Amino acid sequence: MGAAPRAVLHDIRYSRYSGSLRPRSTAVASFVASSVRRPLGLRRSAGSKVWPFLLLAVAYLPSLAVVAVPLLVPQVTLQPTQLISYATLLATNSVVLLAFVATAIPSMLTRDRRDRVLSLYFATAVSWVEYLVGTALAALSLLAIIVLGPLLVLFVGSIATADDPGRWVSENIGDLPRIVLAAAVVVLFHTVLGLLVGSLTSRRVFAVGGYLAVVLVAPVVTVLLSTVLSDDWPLALDPASGPIRLAAAIVDRAVSGPGGLAWVVWAVVVVGGSAVVAARYSRGSDA
Amino acid sequence: MSIQTAGPPGLECVQVSKTFGSVTALDRLSVTFSAPATGLLGANGAGKSTLLRTALGLSRPDSGQLRVLGLDAVAERREVRRRVGFMPEHPCLPADLSAQDVCVQLARMRGLGRRDAVRRTSEVLFAVGLEEERRRPVGSYSLGMQQRTKLAQALVHGPDLVLLDEPTSGLDPAGREEMLTIVRRLSADLGIRVIASSHVLEDIERTCDEVVVLRAGTLAAQRPVLVEQELTGPVDVLVSGDVGEFARALEPLLAPLGIRVAPTATGDIGLDRSSDAALDVVRDLAAARGVGLQHLVPAARGLEDVVVDAMGVHGG
Repeated sequence: MGAAPRAVLHDIRYSRYSGSLRPRSTAVASFVASSVRRPLGLRRSAGSKVWPFLLLAVAYLPSLAVVAVPLLVPQVTLQPTQLISYATLLATNSVVLLAFVATAIPSMLTRDRRDRVLSLYFATAVSWVEYLVGTALAALSLLAIIVLGPLLVLFVGSIATADDPGRWVSENIGDLPRIVLAAAVVVLFHTVLGLLVGSLTSRRVFAVGGYLAVVLVAPVVTVLLSTVLSDDWPLALDPASGPIRLAAAIVDRAVSGPGGLAWVVWAVVVVGGSAVVAARYSRGSDA
Repeated sequence: MSIQTAGPPGLECVQVSKTFGSVTALDRLSVTFSAPATGLLGANGAGKSTLLRTALGLSRPDSGQLRVLGLDAVAERREVRRRVGFMPEHPCLPADLSAQDVCVQLARMRGLGRRDAVRRTSEVLFAVGLEEERRRPVGSYSLGMQQRTKLAQALVHGPDLVLLDEPTSGLDPAGREEMLTIVRRLSADLGIRVIASSHVLEDIERTCDEVVVLRAGTLAAQRPVLVEQELTGPVDVLVSGDVGEFARALEPLLAPLGIRVAPTATGDIGLDRSSDAALDVVRDLAAARGVGLQHLVPAARGLEDVVVDAMGVHGG
């Protein structure tokens, strides 16, 4: 009787690879996945997970709290969105967002320049376009977790806590595209701004400092300008609060927006910043 | 003279020029790398790194055509990228990732599926002797282990050609020995074409079939590493005592054999052929006159002489 072998010896010595290769989109997707994992500290030491997950916890805490209270305390009859609006949640999380962007987004580019890994990537793995698209998608994904995630928790939590969930959904489904659009406005702006700063240096400390300088100094300058001119239009130039106020006006029509000038600033940063980042890498080398 | 292998050459330059400001790195360079393993030699600034970077698409040639495995290095860069492995000289690995993660990530970015990437990573890390340490961060590795990781990532996707920039740089003698063994195996056993840039002639002699020497961005020499010596070819003889007197005594004895005797540039006695009978005459004459035979060597110039001359070390 021919019994199946109980053990098999595999020859694990190096041999030539003769398998087929996946499409480029799969390769870029794997680059995106690894670029998302690194700022979160995944597959790295426990210490490197502390800061990003602390920020994530703080970002989700308000929305989880207002969802948990009506669920756990029957006496509370208010809806989560009545306890905290989408616009308020965006504003509440803005500090967490700025801290996360400062520590995670510029370094997605600076670390590769610091490690001098770009020559390896561009010579044998990805083109500069694939590299930038992959990095941008990873940054967008990370910031969506911080910005869009809590808004969706609030939306889904409101369904869960509603007396008549079906009716609540039918009455409030229009909020969903506005939530996504509002989050996109914030996420896109800070992704480009973070990558723009990161593309200008290989030193992480300079990139973090540069980003913080932009989002911390600019508000002071715009407020001073507004005071001196006794007018509100300079406030629209503030890169820290401008996109948040734009998003708040999108998601909550009761909130007045910062005006057309804020959209101009947003567009200039997103388009101009993308162009500068592309120009920095378009030579396709690590120089 | 070059050694041919089947298929298109690993690297082919036709009138390739590259300048950086006022510095000419490659000056209408035309050369074909068709041997299984080619060593690229040259002094600092000779154009070795520029040639490798241009072949990899990291730098565009100002003029001329450069083909890698028969593919245009500029127009067909995506395919070149897929089929080439590169081991840079400088540190190029993310310090916070393990060797395993580096190799898996690069394999996946080069188009391998997850399962293949993990399997191939295990194979290459085993082949370069890093299987035990593969989960440690690269930043904690010794220089030799980092060099091996760089080699492993260059091989993980199964390239047809690997470009190695100073593969033994910074290695201790044991590490260098292991690296040279692995590099030799690439072309000899696995059929991977190798182009290795180095300052060390001995490394090239041990790992390559052919040597290309660059000087000031031009081709200074190209020849096989091993040249078969003709057993009865010209030889140089040096004896103790009066060399001239020995040569004068030797000349009439060799004339009947049809062998001419002439002084060499270095002062030796040159024989234009070296049949067994002629060598017997030399031996017997030395014994009869009581002089020592200091050397009797083939007159063909060795690789080192050719390389040193080509590199212009003596100011040439």
